Amino acid sequence: MSLILAITVGLLMGIVFGFALEKSRVFEPGMIVGQMQLRNFIMLKVFLTAVATGAVVLAVLNGFGFVKLQPKAAVYAADLIGGLILGAGIALAGACPGTTLAQIGTGYRDGWFTLGGGLCGAVAFSYAQPSLLPFLNAGDGKLIFTDLLGIPFWAGALAWAAIVVLALVVLERLRPWRVEMGRNVDGDFGTPEQKAARASSIVPAE
Amino acid sequence: MYAPTDKAWSPYAAGIVIGLLQIPAFLIIETALGTSSSYVTIGGAIASRLDPALSKIDYVARHISDAPKNWWQVALVVGIAIGAFLSMRLSKAVREPISPIWTRALGSPSASRRYAVAFAAGFLMLFGARVADGCTSGHGLSGLAQLAVGSTVAVAAMFAGGIVAAMSLLRRI
Repeated sequence: MSLILAITVGLLMGIVFGFALEKSRVFEPGMIVGQMQLRNFIMLKVFLTAVATGAVVLAVLNGFGFVKLQPKAAVYAADLIGGLILGAGIALAGACPGTTLAQIGTGYRDGWFTLGGGLCGAVAFSYAQPSLLPFLNAGDGKLIFTDLLGIPFWAGALAWAAIVVLALVVLERLRPWRVEMGRNVDGDFGTPEQKAARASSIVPAE
Repeated sequence: MYAPTDKAWSPYAAGIVIGLLQIPAFLIIETALGTSSSYVTIGGAIASRLDPALSKIDYVARHISDAPKNWWQVALVVGIAIGAFLSMRLSKAVREPISPIWTRALGSPSASRRYAVAFAAGFLMLFGARVADGCTSGHGLSGLAQLAVGSTVAVAAMFAGGIVAAMSLLRRI
Protein backbone atom coordinates (compact mmCIF):
# COMPACT_ATOMS: atom_id res chain seq x y z
CA MET A 1 0.00 0.00 0.00
CA SER A 2 1.29 3.42 -0.91
CA LEU A 3 2.12 6.08 1.64
CA ILE A 4 -0.28 8.54 0.01
CA LEU A 5 -3.19 6.12 0.32
CA ALA A 6 -2.32 5.38 3.96
CA ILE A 7 -2.22 9.09 4.79
CA THR A 8 -5.49 9.79 2.97
CA VAL A 9 -7.25 6.91 4.73
CA GLY A 10 -5.77 8.05 8.05
CA LEU A 11 -6.98 11.62 7.60
CA LEU A 12 -10.51 10.53 6.68
CA MET A 13 -10.69 8.05 9.56
CA GLY A 14 -9.32 10.68 11.93
CA ILE A 15 -11.95 13.20 10.87
CA VAL A 16 -14.70 10.68 11.64
CA PHE A 17 -12.96 9.75 14.93
CA GLY A 18 -12.60 13.40 16.00
CA PHE A 19 -16.16 14.19 14.99
CA ALA A 20 -17.49 11.32 17.12
CA LEU A 21 -15.24 12.25 20.07
CA GLU A 22 -16.52 15.83 19.97
CA LYS A 23 -20.18 14.83 19.62
CA SER A 24 -19.92 12.34 22.49
CA ARG A 25 -18.31 15.08 24.63
CA VAL A 26 -15.86 12.47 25.94
CA PHE A 27 -12.87 14.65 25.02
CA GLU A 28 -13.93 17.27 27.61
CA PRO A 29 -11.62 17.46 30.66
CA GLY A 30 -14.81 17.57 32.75
CA MET A 31 -15.83 14.17 31.41
CA ILE A 32 -12.43 12.51 31.84
CA VAL A 33 -11.64 13.91 35.30
CA GLY A 34 -15.28 13.22 36.23
CA GLN A 35 -14.86 9.60 35.15
CA MET A 36 -11.68 9.17 37.16
CA GLN A 37 -13.41 10.70 40.20
CA LEU A 38 -16.27 8.25 39.59
CA ARG A 39 -18.93 10.92 39.30
CA ASN A 40 -19.51 10.81 35.54
CA PHE A 41 -19.59 7.72 33.34
CA ILE A 42 -19.70 9.16 29.80
CA MET A 43 -16.12 8.03 29.15
CA LEU A 44 -16.87 4.44 30.15
CA LYS A 45 -20.07 4.45 28.05
CA VAL A 46 -18.33 5.65 24.86
CA PHE A 47 -15.34 3.40 25.50
CA LEU A 48 -17.29 0.20 26.18
CA THR A 49 -19.68 0.84 23.26
CA ALA A 50 -16.70 1.19 20.92
CA VAL A 51 -15.14 -1.99 22.40
CA ALA A 52 -18.36 -3.99 21.90
CA THR A 53 -18.78 -2.64 18.35
CA GLY A 54 -15.16 -3.47 17.57
CA ALA A 55 -15.58 -6.99 18.98
CA VAL A 56 -18.61 -7.65 16.73
CA VAL A 57 -16.80 -6.18 13.70
CA LEU A 58 -13.76 -8.38 14.33
CA ALA A 59 -15.87 -11.47 15.07
CA VAL A 60 -17.29 -11.09 11.53
CA LEU A 61 -14.12 -10.01 9.71
CA ASN A 62 -11.91 -12.58 11.43
CA GLY A 63 -14.59 -15.28 11.58
CA PHE A 64 -15.00 -15.20 7.78
CA GLY A 65 -11.25 -15.03 7.33
CA PHE A 66 -11.01 -11.50 5.89
CA VAL A 67 -8.51 -10.23 8.44
CA LYS A 68 -5.87 -11.44 10.87
CA LEU A 69 -6.06 -10.29 14.49
CA GLN A 70 -3.36 -7.84 15.64
CA PRO A 71 -3.21 -8.24 19.43
CA LYS A 72 -0.30 -6.76 21.35
CA ALA A 73 2.04 -9.08 23.24
CA ALA A 74 1.15 -9.70 26.87
CA VAL A 75 3.98 -8.27 29.00
CA TYR A 76 2.33 -8.10 32.39
CA ALA A 77 4.85 -5.99 34.33
CA ALA A 78 5.14 -3.45 31.50
CA ASP A 79 1.36 -3.42 30.94
CA LEU A 80 0.77 -2.88 34.66
CA ILE A 81 3.42 -0.22 35.33
CA GLY A 82 2.96 1.56 32.00
CA GLY A 83 -0.81 1.48 32.47
CA LEU A 84 -0.59 3.02 35.96
CA ILE A 85 1.66 5.87 34.74
CA LEU A 86 -0.52 6.42 31.66
CA GLY A 87 -3.66 6.49 33.82
CA ALA A 88 -2.18 9.09 36.18
CA GLY A 89 -1.26 11.18 33.12
CA ILE A 90 -4.77 10.87 31.69
CA ALA A 91 -6.33 12.10 34.95
CA LEU A 92 -4.01 15.12 35.23
CA ALA A 93 -4.22 15.94 31.51
CA GLY A 94 -7.99 15.45 31.43
CA ALA A 95 -7.28 13.76 28.11
CA CYS A 96 -5.84 10.65 26.51
CA PRO A 97 -3.25 10.66 23.72
CA GLY A 98 -6.02 10.70 21.08
CA THR A 99 -8.44 13.15 22.73
CA THR A 100 -5.59 15.62 23.29
CA LEU A 101 -5.83 16.34 19.56
CA ALA A 102 -9.61 16.79 19.83
CA GLN A 103 -9.00 19.35 22.60
CA ILE A 104 -6.59 21.21 20.34
CA GLY A 105 -9.10 21.11 17.49
CA THR A 106 -11.80 22.63 19.66
CA GLY A 107 -9.53 25.40 20.90
CA TYR A 108 -8.42 24.30 24.35
CA ARG A 109 -5.04 25.99 24.80
CA ASP A 110 -3.77 23.63 27.48
CA GLY A 111 -4.11 20.82 24.90
CA TRP A 112 -1.00 22.19 23.19
CA PHE A 113 0.96 21.78 26.43
CA THR A 114 -0.34 18.22 26.84
CA LEU A 115 0.79 17.53 23.26
CA GLY A 116 4.24 19.06 23.90
CA GLY A 117 4.65 17.06 27.11
CA GLY A 118 3.50 13.95 25.25
CA LEU A 119 6.08 14.38 22.48
CA CYS A 120 8.81 14.87 25.12
CA GLY A 121 7.58 11.80 27.01
CA ALA A 122 7.70 9.72 23.82
CA VAL A 123 11.24 10.93 23.06
CA ALA A 124 12.37 10.32 26.66
CA PHE A 125 11.02 6.78 26.42
CA SER A 126 12.81 6.31 23.09
CA TYR A 127 16.16 7.14 24.72
CA ALA A 128 15.42 4.73 27.58
CA GLN A 129 13.98 1.96 25.40
CA PRO A 130 17.22 0.06 24.63
CA SER A 131 18.06 -0.28 28.35
CA LEU A 132 14.44 -1.21 29.19
CA LEU A 133 14.36 -3.95 26.54
CA PRO A 134 14.78 -6.97 28.87
CA PHE A 135 11.83 -5.66 30.92
CA LEU A 136 9.71 -4.81 27.85
CA ASN A 137 10.32 -8.13 26.09
CA ALA A 138 9.57 -10.51 28.97
CA GLY A 139 6.11 -11.83 28.25
CA ASP A 140 3.68 -14.40 27.04
CA GLY A 141 3.53 -13.24 23.42
CA LYS A 142 0.29 -12.39 21.65
CA LEU A 143 -2.10 -14.06 24.02
CA ILE A 144 -5.89 -13.80 23.65
CA PHE A 145 -8.55 -15.14 26.03
CA THR A 146 -10.31 -17.32 23.45
CA ASP A 147 -7.07 -19.23 22.84
CA LEU A 148 -6.75 -19.84 26.58
CA LEU A 149 -10.33 -21.14 26.62
CA GLY A 150 -9.87 -23.15 23.44
CA ILE A 151 -12.87 -21.61 21.66
CA PRO A 152 -13.03 -19.79 18.29
CA PHE A 153 -12.36 -16.05 18.47
CA TRP A 154 -15.67 -15.12 16.83
CA ALA A 155 -17.67 -16.98 19.49
CA GLY A 156 -15.74 -15.43 22.35
CA ALA A 157 -15.90 -11.96 20.81
CA LEU A 158 -19.69 -12.14 20.34
CA ALA A 159 -20.15 -13.37 23.92
CA TRP A 160 -17.88 -10.58 25.22
CA ALA A 161 -19.84 -7.98 23.19
CA ALA A 162 -23.10 -9.31 24.68
CA ILE A 163 -21.71 -9.01 28.23
CA VAL A 164 -20.51 -5.45 27.57
CA VAL A 165 -23.90 -4.43 26.10
CA LEU A 166 -25.66 -5.88 29.15
CA ALA A 167 -23.34 -3.91 31.46
CA LEU A 168 -24.08 -0.75 29.45
CA VAL A 169 -27.85 -1.29 29.74
CA VAL A 170 -27.51 -1.55 33.52
CA LEU A 171 -25.20 1.49 33.65
CA GLU A 172 -27.65 3.57 31.59
CA ARG A 173 -30.50 2.57 33.93
CA LEU A 174 -28.45 3.75 36.90
CA ARG A 175 -26.96 6.85 35.26
CA PRO A 176 -28.88 8.14 32.20
CA TRP A 177 -26.40 9.87 29.89
CA ARG A 178 -28.42 13.05 29.51
CA VAL A 179 -28.08 13.95 33.18
CA GLU A 180 -24.29 13.52 32.96
CA MET A 181 -23.78 16.20 30.32
CA GLY A 182 -23.62 19.29 32.55
CA ARG A 183 -24.79 22.83 31.90
CA ASN A 184 -22.58 23.47 28.90
CA VAL A 185 -22.44 19.79 27.74
CA ASP A 186 -18.86 19.66 29.05
CA GLY A 187 -19.30 17.61 32.22
CA ASP A 188 -19.05 20.80 34.31
CA PHE A 189 -21.68 21.01 37.02
CA GLY A 190 -20.26 24.12 38.67
CA THR A 191 -19.36 24.62 42.31
CA PRO A 192 -21.21 22.61 44.99
CA GLU A 193 -23.36 25.71 45.68
CA GLN A 194 -24.28 26.09 42.01
CA LYS A 195 -24.98 22.38 41.85
CA ALA A 196 -27.33 22.57 44.84
CA ALA A 197 -29.10 25.62 43.36
CA ARG A 198 -29.59 23.82 40.07
CA ALA A 199 -30.91 20.70 41.77
CA SER A 200 -33.46 22.68 43.78
CA SER A 201 -34.59 24.65 40.73
CA ILE A 202 -35.23 21.39 38.83
CA VAL A 203 -37.54 20.07 41.56
CA PRO A 204 -41.06 20.74 40.26
CA ALA A 205 -43.24 22.98 42.39
CA GLU A 206 -46.01 21.11 44.20
CA MET B 1 -32.25 11.98 15.09
CA TYR B 2 -28.50 12.53 15.15
CA ALA B 3 -27.66 15.71 13.28
CA PRO B 4 -24.14 17.06 12.65
CA THR B 5 -25.33 20.34 14.20
CA ASP B 6 -26.27 18.72 17.55
CA LYS B 7 -24.25 19.80 20.57
CA ALA B 8 -24.09 16.22 21.82
CA TRP B 9 -24.86 12.70 20.63
CA SER B 10 -25.58 9.81 22.90
CA PRO B 11 -22.35 8.13 24.01
CA TYR B 12 -23.68 4.93 22.46
CA ALA B 13 -24.12 6.41 18.97
CA ALA B 14 -20.64 7.97 19.10
CA GLY B 15 -19.14 4.75 20.48
CA ILE B 16 -20.59 2.72 17.61
CA VAL B 17 -19.09 5.14 15.06
CA ILE B 18 -15.68 4.83 16.74
CA GLY B 19 -15.92 1.03 16.93
CA LEU B 20 -16.77 0.83 13.20
CA LEU B 21 -13.45 2.53 12.44
CA GLN B 22 -11.85 -0.88 13.10
CA ILE B 23 -13.21 -1.95 9.68
CA PRO B 24 -11.00 0.33 7.55
CA ALA B 25 -8.12 -0.05 10.05
CA PHE B 26 -8.02 -3.84 9.73
CA LEU B 27 -9.11 -4.12 6.08
CA ILE B 28 -7.09 -1.31 4.48
CA ILE B 29 -4.17 -0.62 6.83
CA GLU B 30 -3.97 -4.13 8.35
CA THR B 31 -3.60 -2.72 11.83
CA ALA B 32 -5.77 -1.95 14.84
CA LEU B 33 -6.91 1.52 15.84
CA GLY B 34 -4.27 3.29 17.97
CA THR B 35 -2.90 6.78 18.55
CA SER B 36 0.11 6.83 20.87
CA SER B 37 2.76 5.50 18.41
CA SER B 38 2.28 8.69 16.40
CA TYR B 39 3.91 10.62 19.26
CA VAL B 40 7.07 8.54 18.76
CA THR B 41 6.92 9.15 15.00
CA ILE B 42 6.60 12.94 15.33
CA GLY B 43 8.70 13.33 18.48
CA GLY B 44 11.36 11.00 17.11
CA ALA B 45 11.45 12.72 13.71
CA ILE B 46 11.90 16.16 15.33
CA ALA B 47 14.40 15.06 18.00
CA SER B 48 16.49 13.12 15.44
CA ARG B 49 17.20 16.42 13.69
CA LEU B 50 18.72 17.77 16.89
CA ASP B 51 20.42 14.52 17.87
CA PRO B 52 21.09 12.25 14.86
CA ALA B 53 22.18 9.47 17.27
CA LEU B 54 18.55 9.05 18.31
CA SER B 55 17.58 7.75 14.87
CA LYS B 56 20.14 4.92 15.32
CA ILE B 57 17.98 3.45 18.08
CA ASP B 58 16.06 0.64 16.40
CA TYR B 59 12.79 1.57 18.15
CA VAL B 60 12.97 5.13 16.80
CA ALA B 61 14.13 4.03 13.34
CA ARG B 62 11.10 1.72 13.14
CA HIS B 63 8.70 4.50 14.07
CA ILE B 64 10.09 7.24 11.84
CA SER B 65 10.59 5.07 8.73
CA ASP B 66 8.30 5.71 5.77
CA ALA B 67 6.24 2.58 6.55
CA PRO B 68 2.61 3.43 5.65
CA LYS B 69 1.39 2.44 9.15
CA ASN B 70 3.51 5.13 10.85
CA TRP B 71 2.19 7.98 8.77
CA TRP B 72 -1.34 6.58 8.66
CA GLN B 73 -1.42 7.04 12.44
CA VAL B 74 0.04 10.55 12.28
CA ALA B 75 -2.65 11.42 9.70
CA LEU B 76 -5.25 9.84 11.99
CA VAL B 77 -4.43 12.10 14.94
CA VAL B 78 -4.27 15.18 12.70
CA GLY B 79 -7.69 14.12 11.40
CA ILE B 80 -8.98 13.89 14.99
CA ALA B 81 -8.20 17.58 15.50
CA ILE B 82 -9.89 18.48 12.19
CA GLY B 83 -12.96 16.33 12.91
CA ALA B 84 -13.39 17.76 16.40
CA PHE B 85 -13.01 21.29 15.01
CA LEU B 86 -15.67 20.65 12.33
CA SER B 87 -18.08 19.14 14.85
CA MET B 88 -17.65 22.10 17.19
CA ARG B 89 -18.15 24.59 14.37
CA LEU B 90 -21.32 22.84 13.18
CA SER B 91 -22.80 22.80 16.69
CA LYS B 92 -21.76 26.45 17.25
CA ALA B 93 -20.35 25.49 20.65
CA VAL B 94 -18.40 28.22 22.41
CA ARG B 95 -15.44 27.09 24.49
CA GLU B 96 -13.27 28.93 26.95
CA PRO B 97 -9.50 28.61 26.33
CA ILE B 98 -9.25 26.39 29.43
CA SER B 99 -12.09 24.22 30.72
CA PRO B 100 -13.76 25.80 33.79
CA ILE B 101 -13.30 22.55 35.74
CA TRP B 102 -9.56 23.19 36.11
CA THR B 103 -10.00 26.14 38.43
CA ARG B 104 -11.72 23.81 40.89
CA ALA B 105 -9.63 20.68 40.18
CA LEU B 106 -6.32 22.51 40.63
CA GLY B 107 -7.56 24.94 43.29
CA SER B 108 -6.34 27.92 41.25
CA PRO B 109 -7.49 29.92 38.22
CA SER B 110 -3.86 30.37 37.08
CA ALA B 111 -3.40 29.50 33.40
CA SER B 112 0.35 28.98 33.80
CA ARG B 113 -0.23 26.44 36.57
CA ARG B 114 -2.66 24.58 34.29
CA TYR B 115 -0.16 24.65 31.42
CA ALA B 116 2.59 23.25 33.66
CA VAL B 117 0.31 20.44 34.90
CA ALA B 118 -0.81 19.70 31.33
CA PHE B 119 2.80 19.43 30.13
CA ALA B 120 3.79 17.11 32.99
CA ALA B 121 0.62 15.06 32.47
CA GLY B 122 1.31 14.72 28.75
CA PHE B 123 4.81 13.52 29.55
CA LEU B 124 3.54 10.87 31.98
CA MET B 125 0.80 9.84 29.59
CA LEU B 126 3.10 9.10 26.67
CA PHE B 127 5.94 7.68 28.74
CA GLY B 128 3.46 5.28 30.36
CA ALA B 129 1.76 4.49 27.06
CA ARG B 130 5.08 3.57 25.46
CA VAL B 131 6.12 1.40 28.43
CA ALA B 132 2.77 -0.41 28.16
CA ASP B 133 3.01 -0.37 24.33
CA GLY B 134 -0.40 1.21 23.88
CA CYS B 135 -2.93 3.73 25.15
CA THR B 136 -6.68 4.06 25.58
CA SER B 137 -7.03 3.38 21.85
CA GLY B 138 -4.46 0.66 21.16
CA HIS B 139 -4.85 -1.32 24.38
CA GLY B 140 -8.31 -0.05 25.24
CA LEU B 141 -10.50 0.06 22.14
CA SER B 142 -8.49 -2.42 20.05
CA GLY B 143 -7.00 -4.70 22.70
CA LEU B 144 -10.27 -5.29 24.54
CA ALA B 145 -12.14 -5.84 21.24
CA GLN B 146 -9.58 -8.56 20.42
CA LEU B 147 -9.79 -10.13 23.90
CA ALA B 148 -6.07 -9.57 24.38
CA VAL B 149 -4.86 -10.69 27.82
CA GLY B 150 -2.07 -8.10 28.17
CA SER B 151 -4.38 -5.26 27.07
CA THR B 152 -6.88 -6.23 29.77
CA VAL B 153 -4.13 -5.83 32.39
CA ALA B 154 -3.08 -2.50 30.84
CA VAL B 155 -6.63 -1.10 30.78
CA ALA B 156 -7.30 -2.14 34.39
CA ALA B 157 -4.02 -0.45 35.40
CA MET B 158 -4.94 2.68 33.40
CA PHE B 159 -8.23 3.13 35.23
CA ALA B 160 -6.60 2.29 38.58
CA GLY B 161 -3.82 4.85 38.02
CA GLY B 162 -6.33 7.42 36.77
CA ILE B 163 -8.69 6.98 39.71
CA VAL B 164 -5.90 7.16 42.30
CA ALA B 165 -4.39 10.29 40.68
CA ALA B 166 -7.75 12.04 40.22
CA MET B 167 -8.81 11.30 43.80
CA SER B 168 -5.50 12.16 45.48
CA LEU B 169 -3.92 14.89 43.34
CA LEU B 170 -6.98 16.77 42.06
CA ARG B 171 -9.79 18.38 44.03
CA ARG B 172 -13.32 17.16 43.43
CA ILE B 173 -14.79 18.86 40.38
